[in-house]
Amino acid sequence: MWWKILGAAIFMYVLIGGLLTPLNPGITAVSPSKTGTGEDLILSVTGYNTHFTTAKNHRAWLKLDSIHAVPAENISILNENTAELRFLIPGTLPDNEELAAATLILDNEMDGSFVQPSALFIQNSQTQNPASDREWQQYIIKDLSVRKSMGFPYRNILNETIRNTFFHVALWFAMFLLLIAGIYYAIRYLRTQDIVFDHYSSAFNKVAILYGILGLITGSVWAKFTWNTFWTTDVKLNMTAVAMLIYLAYLVLRGSSADQDKRARLSAAYSIFAFVALIPLVFVIPRLTDSLHPGNGGNPALGGEDLDNT
Amino acid sequence: MNYKKFLLIIAALWIPVLLKAASQDTDFLRSTGKIYSVVIVICILFLGIIIFLFRLDRKLTKLENQINNEQ
Repeated sequence: MWWKILGAAIFMYVLIGGLLTPLNPGITAVSPSKTGTGEDLILSVTGYNTHFTTAKNHRAWLKLDSIHAVPAENISILNENTAELRFLIPGTLPDNEELAAATLILDNEMDGSFVQPSALFIQNSQTQNPASDREWQQYIIKDLSVRKSMGFPYRNILNETIRNTFFHVALWFAMFLLLIAGIYYAIRYLRTQDIVFDHYSSAFNKVAILYGILGLITGSVWAKFTWNTFWTTDVKLNMTAVAMLIYLAYLVLRGSSADQDKRARLSAAYSIFAFVALIPLVFVIPRLTDSLHPGNGGNPALGGEDLDNT
Repeated sequence: MNYKKFLLIIAALWIPVLLKAASQDTDFLRSTGKIYSVVIVICILFLGIIIFLFRLDRKLTKLENQINNEQ
Protein backbone atom coordinates (compact mmCIF):
# COMPACT_ATOMS: atom_id res chain seq x y z
CA MET A 1 0.00 0.00 0.00
CA TRP A 2 2.86 2.37 0.84
CA TRP A 3 4.00 2.48 -2.80
CA LYS A 4 0.61 3.81 -3.92
CA ILE A 5 0.99 6.77 -1.56
CA LEU A 6 4.61 7.19 -2.65
CA GLY A 7 3.53 7.17 -6.32
CA ALA A 8 0.89 9.84 -5.71
CA ALA A 9 3.40 11.91 -3.68
CA ILE A 10 6.03 11.75 -6.43
CA PHE A 11 3.39 12.67 -9.01
CA MET A 12 2.33 15.71 -7.00
CA TYR A 13 5.96 16.68 -6.41
CA VAL A 14 6.70 16.55 -10.14
CA LEU A 15 3.59 18.58 -10.99
CA ILE A 16 4.27 21.23 -8.36
CA GLY A 17 8.03 21.29 -8.94
CA GLY A 18 7.64 21.36 -12.70
CA LEU A 19 5.17 24.22 -12.67
CA LEU A 20 6.25 26.38 -9.73
CA THR A 21 10.04 26.36 -10.13
CA PRO A 22 10.82 29.67 -11.84
CA LEU A 23 12.60 29.98 -15.15
CA ASN A 24 16.02 31.63 -14.85
CA PRO A 25 16.33 35.12 -16.33
CA GLY A 26 17.22 35.42 -19.97
CA ILE A 27 17.34 37.79 -22.93
CA THR A 28 14.55 37.46 -25.47
CA ALA A 29 15.38 40.28 -27.88
CA VAL A 30 18.24 42.64 -28.69
CA SER A 31 17.91 45.49 -31.14
CA PRO A 32 19.62 46.47 -33.37
CA SER A 33 21.11 43.11 -34.30
CA LYS A 34 24.04 44.46 -36.29
CA THR A 35 26.33 47.46 -36.20
CA GLY A 36 29.57 48.77 -37.62
CA THR A 37 32.90 49.26 -35.96
CA GLY A 38 33.56 52.60 -34.32
CA GLU A 39 29.87 53.26 -33.63
CA ASP A 40 28.38 54.80 -30.52
CA LEU A 41 25.66 52.21 -30.09
CA ILE A 42 22.46 52.23 -28.03
CA LEU A 43 21.38 48.63 -27.62
CA SER A 44 17.84 48.01 -26.34
CA VAL A 45 17.51 44.71 -24.54
CA THR A 46 14.33 42.87 -23.65
CA GLY A 47 14.68 40.37 -20.84
CA TYR A 48 12.48 37.63 -19.46
CA ASN A 49 11.99 37.08 -15.71
CA THR A 50 14.60 39.76 -15.07
CA HIS A 51 14.62 42.23 -12.19
CA PHE A 52 16.15 45.32 -13.76
CA THR A 53 14.44 47.90 -11.55
CA THR A 54 14.73 45.90 -8.33
CA ALA A 55 18.42 45.08 -8.75
CA LYS A 56 21.01 47.77 -8.12
CA ASN A 57 24.40 46.77 -9.51
CA HIS A 58 24.04 46.34 -13.24
CA ARG A 59 26.91 45.43 -15.51
CA ALA A 60 26.99 44.49 -19.19
CA TRP A 61 29.60 43.40 -21.71
CA LEU A 62 29.84 42.64 -25.39
CA LYS A 63 32.20 39.70 -25.65
CA LEU A 64 33.97 38.83 -28.89
CA ASP A 65 36.14 35.93 -27.84
CA SER A 66 37.88 34.68 -24.73
CA ILE A 67 40.12 37.76 -24.41
CA HIS A 68 38.30 40.57 -26.24
CA ALA A 69 35.31 42.28 -24.66
CA VAL A 70 33.97 45.77 -24.19
CA PRO A 71 32.00 46.89 -21.11
CA ALA A 72 28.88 49.02 -21.38
CA GLU A 73 29.47 52.75 -20.96
CA ASN A 74 26.06 53.40 -19.55
CA ILE A 75 23.06 51.28 -18.55
CA SER A 76 19.65 52.94 -18.38
CA ILE A 77 16.82 50.85 -17.00
CA LEU A 78 13.41 51.44 -18.59
CA ASN A 79 11.42 48.90 -16.61
CA GLU A 80 11.74 45.48 -14.98
CA ASN A 81 12.32 43.75 -18.32
CA THR A 82 13.80 46.33 -20.66
CA ALA A 83 17.02 48.28 -20.55
CA GLU A 84 19.10 50.41 -22.88
CA LEU A 85 22.84 49.83 -22.99
CA ARG A 86 25.33 52.23 -24.51
CA PHE A 87 28.43 50.72 -26.04
CA LEU A 88 31.37 52.39 -27.74
CA ILE A 89 32.29 49.83 -30.38
CA PRO A 90 36.07 49.95 -31.06
CA GLY A 91 37.30 51.03 -34.48
CA THR A 92 38.69 47.81 -35.89
CA LEU A 93 38.02 44.18 -35.27
CA PRO A 94 40.86 42.07 -33.88
CA ASP A 95 42.87 40.24 -36.56
CA ASN A 96 41.26 42.57 -39.16
CA GLU A 97 38.18 40.40 -39.49
CA GLU A 98 35.33 41.66 -41.66
CA LEU A 99 32.47 40.39 -39.48
CA ALA A 100 32.29 39.15 -35.92
CA ALA A 101 29.47 37.97 -33.68
CA ALA A 102 29.46 39.37 -30.17
CA THR A 103 27.86 37.76 -27.15
CA LEU A 104 25.89 40.01 -24.84
CA ILE A 105 26.41 39.36 -21.14
CA LEU A 106 24.27 41.01 -18.51
CA ASP A 107 24.89 40.77 -14.80
CA ASN A 108 23.18 41.98 -11.67
CA GLU A 109 23.10 40.81 -8.10
CA MET A 110 19.49 39.50 -8.22
CA ASP A 111 19.40 37.67 -11.55
CA GLY A 112 23.02 36.58 -11.65
CA SER A 113 24.68 36.65 -15.04
CA PHE A 114 22.92 35.65 -18.24
CA VAL A 115 23.92 35.74 -21.90
CA GLN A 116 22.54 36.05 -25.40
CA PRO A 117 24.94 34.29 -27.80
CA SER A 118 25.54 36.06 -31.13
CA ALA A 119 23.40 38.96 -29.96
CA LEU A 120 25.14 41.54 -32.14
CA PHE A 121 26.99 41.28 -35.44
CA ILE A 122 29.77 43.81 -35.81
CA GLN A 123 30.82 44.65 -39.35
CA ASN A 124 34.10 46.30 -40.22
CA SER A 125 32.96 49.68 -41.56
CA GLN A 126 35.19 51.33 -44.12
CA THR A 127 34.27 54.86 -43.10
CA GLN A 128 36.71 56.39 -40.69
CA ASN A 129 34.75 57.41 -37.63
CA PRO A 130 36.33 59.85 -35.20
CA ALA A 131 36.18 57.09 -32.59
CA SER A 132 37.95 54.58 -34.79
CA ASP A 133 41.24 55.00 -32.98
CA ARG A 134 39.77 52.95 -30.16
CA GLU A 135 41.17 49.43 -30.11
CA TRP A 136 39.73 46.19 -28.73
CA GLN A 137 41.18 45.93 -25.29
CA GLN A 138 42.17 42.67 -23.75
CA TYR A 139 39.38 42.61 -21.23
CA ILE A 140 38.77 39.73 -18.89
CA ILE A 141 35.26 39.49 -17.48
CA LYS A 142 35.35 38.48 -13.84
CA ASP A 143 33.43 38.56 -10.56
CA LEU A 144 30.16 37.49 -12.19
CA SER A 145 27.22 37.25 -9.81
CA VAL A 146 25.41 34.00 -9.25
CA ARG A 147 21.65 33.68 -8.92
CA LYS A 148 20.88 32.33 -5.47
CA SER A 149 17.68 30.34 -5.96
CA MET A 150 17.07 27.28 -8.11
CA GLY A 151 15.44 27.61 -11.50
CA PHE A 152 15.02 26.03 -14.88
CA PRO A 153 17.84 27.10 -17.24
CA TYR A 154 16.80 29.72 -19.77
CA ARG A 155 17.20 28.67 -23.39
CA ASN A 156 16.21 30.63 -26.47
CA ILE A 157 13.24 29.18 -28.40
CA LEU A 158 12.61 26.71 -25.56
CA ASN A 159 11.64 29.37 -23.02
CA GLU A 160 9.10 27.94 -20.57
CA THR A 161 8.69 24.72 -22.54
CA ILE A 162 11.92 23.51 -20.91
CA ARG A 163 9.57 22.43 -18.11
CA ASN A 164 8.46 19.61 -20.40
CA THR A 165 11.68 17.80 -19.46
CA PHE A 166 9.80 16.95 -16.25
CA PHE A 167 6.90 15.40 -18.17
CA HIS A 168 7.90 14.33 -21.68
CA VAL A 169 11.38 13.03 -20.82
CA ALA A 170 10.20 11.36 -17.61
CA LEU A 171 7.63 9.39 -19.65
CA TRP A 172 10.41 7.77 -21.66
CA PHE A 173 12.44 7.00 -18.54
CA ALA A 174 9.36 5.38 -16.99
CA MET A 175 8.69 3.49 -20.23
CA PHE A 176 12.17 2.01 -20.22
CA LEU A 177 12.02 0.98 -16.56
CA LEU A 178 8.66 -0.70 -17.19
CA LEU A 179 9.94 -2.47 -20.29
CA ILE A 180 12.96 -3.76 -18.37
CA ALA A 181 10.58 -5.09 -15.70
CA GLY A 182 8.46 -6.58 -18.49
CA ILE A 183 11.37 -8.40 -20.11
CA TYR A 184 12.55 -9.64 -16.68
CA TYR A 185 9.20 -11.32 -16.03
CA ALA A 186 9.03 -12.58 -19.63
CA ILE A 187 12.33 -14.41 -19.08
CA ARG A 188 11.13 -15.71 -15.73
CA TYR A 189 7.97 -16.98 -17.40
CA LEU A 190 9.96 -18.80 -20.07
CA ARG A 191 12.12 -20.43 -17.37
CA THR A 192 9.36 -21.44 -14.95
CA GLN A 193 6.21 -21.62 -17.14
CA ASP A 194 4.36 -19.98 -14.25
CA ILE A 195 1.41 -18.06 -15.73
CA VAL A 196 1.60 -15.40 -12.98
CA PHE A 197 4.85 -14.12 -14.50
CA ASP A 198 3.10 -13.79 -17.85
CA HIS A 199 0.46 -11.59 -16.22
CA TYR A 200 3.19 -9.42 -14.67
CA SER A 201 5.09 -9.17 -17.94
CA SER A 202 2.07 -8.20 -20.03
CA ALA A 203 0.88 -5.65 -17.48
CA PHE A 204 4.30 -3.95 -17.40
CA ASN A 205 4.53 -3.96 -21.19
CA LYS A 206 1.02 -2.56 -21.64
CA VAL A 207 1.64 0.39 -19.30
CA ALA A 208 4.98 0.96 -21.03
CA ILE A 209 3.24 1.09 -24.42
CA LEU A 210 0.75 3.60 -23.01
CA TYR A 211 3.65 5.76 -21.80
CA GLY A 212 5.38 5.44 -25.16
CA ILE A 213 2.30 6.61 -27.05
CA LEU A 214 1.80 9.47 -24.59
CA GLY A 215 5.48 10.32 -25.02
CA LEU A 216 5.08 10.52 -28.78
CA ILE A 217 1.99 12.76 -28.46
CA THR A 218 3.52 15.09 -25.87
CA GLY A 219 6.75 15.26 -27.87
CA SER A 220 4.72 16.16 -30.92
CA VAL A 221 3.04 19.05 -29.10
CA TRP A 222 6.41 20.23 -27.78
CA ALA A 223 7.86 20.04 -31.30
CA LYS A 224 5.02 22.22 -32.60
CA PHE A 225 6.09 25.03 -30.27
CA THR A 226 9.84 24.74 -30.63
CA TRP A 227 10.52 23.15 -34.05
CA ASN A 228 7.30 24.59 -35.52
CA THR A 229 5.94 21.30 -36.80
CA PHE A 230 4.17 18.35 -35.20
CA TRP A 231 6.43 15.80 -36.83
CA THR A 232 9.89 16.23 -38.30
CA THR A 233 12.05 13.78 -40.21
CA ASP A 234 14.27 13.65 -37.12
CA VAL A 235 15.82 10.17 -36.83
CA LYS A 236 14.88 9.76 -33.19
CA LEU A 237 11.21 10.47 -33.89
CA ASN A 238 10.95 8.03 -36.76
CA MET A 239 12.94 5.30 -35.04
CA THR A 240 10.87 5.63 -31.87
CA ALA A 241 7.70 5.43 -33.94
CA VAL A 242 9.03 2.20 -35.51
CA ALA A 243 9.80 0.85 -32.02
CA MET A 244 6.29 1.71 -30.85
CA LEU A 245 4.82 -0.09 -33.89
CA ILE A 246 6.85 -3.17 -32.95
CA TYR A 247 5.35 -3.01 -29.47
CA LEU A 248 1.83 -2.43 -30.86
CA ALA A 249 2.32 -5.69 -32.76
CA TYR A 250 2.93 -7.25 -29.32
CA LEU A 251 -0.60 -6.26 -28.32
CA VAL A 252 -1.97 -7.69 -31.57
CA LEU A 253 -0.07 -10.92 -30.94
CA ARG A 254 -1.54 -11.24 -27.47
CA GLY A 255 -5.02 -10.65 -28.79
CA SER A 256 -4.68 -13.18 -31.60
CA SER A 257 -4.33 -16.40 -29.60
CA ALA A 258 -7.02 -17.83 -27.36
CA ASP A 259 -4.86 -20.56 -25.84
CA GLN A 260 -3.39 -19.12 -22.65
CA ASP A 261 -0.08 -21.04 -22.56
CA LYS A 262 0.60 -20.54 -26.25
CA ARG A 263 -0.16 -16.84 -25.98
CA ALA A 264 2.10 -16.48 -22.95
CA ARG A 265 5.02 -18.27 -24.58
CA LEU A 266 4.69 -16.40 -27.89
CA SER A 267 4.36 -12.97 -26.31
CA ALA A 268 7.22 -13.56 -23.87
CA ALA A 269 9.56 -14.51 -26.70
CA TYR A 270 8.29 -11.64 -28.84
CA SER A 271 8.77 -9.06 -26.07
CA ILE A 272 12.42 -10.11 -25.70
CA PHE A 273 13.01 -9.56 -29.42
CA ALA A 274 11.07 -6.28 -29.37
CA PHE A 275 13.22 -4.99 -26.49
CA VAL A 276 16.40 -6.00 -28.28
CA ALA A 277 15.19 -4.09 -31.36
CA LEU A 278 14.24 -1.07 -29.26
CA ILE A 279 17.74 -0.40 -27.90
CA PRO A 280 19.49 0.30 -31.24
CA LEU A 281 16.42 2.09 -32.60
CA VAL A 282 16.17 4.59 -29.77
CA PHE A 283 19.68 4.76 -28.29
CA VAL A 284 22.17 3.88 -31.01
CA ILE A 285 20.94 5.07 -34.43
CA PRO A 286 19.98 8.64 -33.35
CA ARG A 287 23.44 9.07 -31.85
CA LEU A 288 25.14 8.06 -35.08
CA THR A 289 23.41 10.73 -37.14
CA ASP A 290 22.22 14.25 -36.58
CA SER A 291 19.20 14.63 -34.41
CA LEU A 292 17.28 17.58 -33.08
CA HIS A 293 17.07 15.90 -29.71
CA PRO A 294 19.57 17.13 -27.13
CA GLY A 295 22.36 14.67 -26.44
CA ASN A 296 22.26 13.14 -29.93
CA GLY A 297 24.49 13.65 -32.94
CA GLY A 298 27.15 15.49 -30.95
CA ASN A 299 24.53 17.94 -29.78
CA PRO A 300 25.00 18.82 -26.10
CA ALA A 301 22.01 18.46 -23.82
CA LEU A 302 22.17 20.74 -20.82
CA GLY A 303 25.91 20.16 -20.42
CA GLY A 304 26.44 23.89 -19.94
CA GLU A 305 24.72 23.55 -16.58
CA ASP A 306 27.38 21.16 -15.32
CA LEU A 307 29.73 22.47 -12.69
CA ASP A 308 32.84 21.71 -14.72
CA ASN A 309 31.14 22.17 -18.11
CA THR A 310 32.70 19.14 -19.78
CA MET B 1 -21.31 3.28 -20.68
CA ASN B 2 -21.62 6.58 -18.92
CA TYR B 3 -17.91 7.10 -18.41
CA LYS B 4 -17.32 6.99 -22.17
CA LYS B 5 -19.55 10.02 -22.61
CA PHE B 6 -17.72 11.76 -19.79
CA LEU B 7 -14.32 11.11 -21.39
CA LEU B 8 -15.60 12.16 -24.80
CA ILE B 9 -16.83 15.46 -23.38
CA ILE B 10 -13.46 16.10 -21.69
CA ALA B 11 -11.61 15.22 -24.90
CA ALA B 12 -13.96 17.38 -26.95
CA LEU B 13 -13.23 20.36 -24.72
CA TRP B 14 -9.61 20.14 -25.80
CA ILE B 15 -10.28 20.01 -29.55
CA PRO B 16 -10.52 23.82 -30.01
CA VAL B 17 -7.30 24.32 -28.07
CA LEU B 18 -5.43 21.72 -30.13
CA LEU B 19 -6.87 23.13 -33.36
CA LYS B 20 -5.74 26.57 -32.33
CA ALA B 21 -2.28 25.13 -31.64
CA ALA B 22 -2.22 23.63 -35.11
CA SER B 23 -3.23 26.84 -36.86
CA GLN B 24 -0.88 29.69 -37.53
CA ASP B 25 -2.75 32.07 -35.28
CA THR B 26 -1.17 30.85 -32.07
CA ASP B 27 -0.53 34.08 -30.23
CA PHE B 28 -2.29 32.94 -27.08
CA LEU B 29 -0.46 29.62 -26.84
CA ARG B 30 2.88 31.25 -27.52
CA SER B 31 2.37 34.08 -25.03
CA THR B 32 4.27 34.26 -21.70
CA GLY B 33 7.16 32.11 -22.83
CA LYS B 34 5.02 29.35 -24.42
CA ILE B 35 3.84 28.18 -20.97
CA TYR B 36 0.50 27.01 -22.39
CA SER B 37 2.24 24.33 -24.44
CA VAL B 38 3.36 22.87 -21.11
CA VAL B 39 -0.27 22.99 -19.96
CA ILE B 40 -1.34 21.06 -23.08
CA VAL B 41 1.37 18.45 -22.45
CA ILE B 42 0.24 17.98 -18.84
CA CYS B 43 -3.41 17.72 -19.92
CA ILE B 44 -2.58 15.06 -22.54
CA LEU B 45 -0.65 13.12 -19.90
CA PHE B 46 -3.48 13.43 -17.39
CA LEU B 47 -6.16 12.41 -19.91
CA GLY B 48 -4.09 9.44 -21.11
CA ILE B 49 -3.49 8.09 -17.63
CA ILE B 50 -7.11 8.71 -16.55
CA ILE B 51 -8.51 6.92 -19.63
CA PHE B 52 -6.16 4.01 -18.95
CA LEU B 53 -7.23 3.82 -15.30
CA PHE B 54 -10.93 4.00 -16.22
CA ARG B 55 -10.53 1.10 -18.66
CA LEU B 56 -8.57 -0.90 -16.09
CA ASP B 57 -11.25 -0.26 -13.50
CA ARG B 58 -13.97 -1.45 -15.89
CA LYS B 59 -12.07 -4.69 -16.55
CA LEU B 60 -11.54 -5.21 -12.81
CA THR B 61 -15.25 -4.64 -12.13
CA LYS B 62 -16.06 -7.27 -14.73
CA LEU B 63 -13.71 -9.76 -13.07
CA GLU B 64 -15.11 -8.97 -9.61
CA ASN B 65 -18.65 -9.54 -10.88
CA GLN B 66 -17.59 -12.88 -12.39
CA ILE B 67 -16.06 -14.02 -9.11
CA ASN B 68 -19.10 -12.89 -7.14
CA ASN B 69 -21.47 -14.70 -9.50
CA GLU B 70 -19.50 -17.92 -9.23
CA GLN B 71 -19.70 -17.96 -5.46
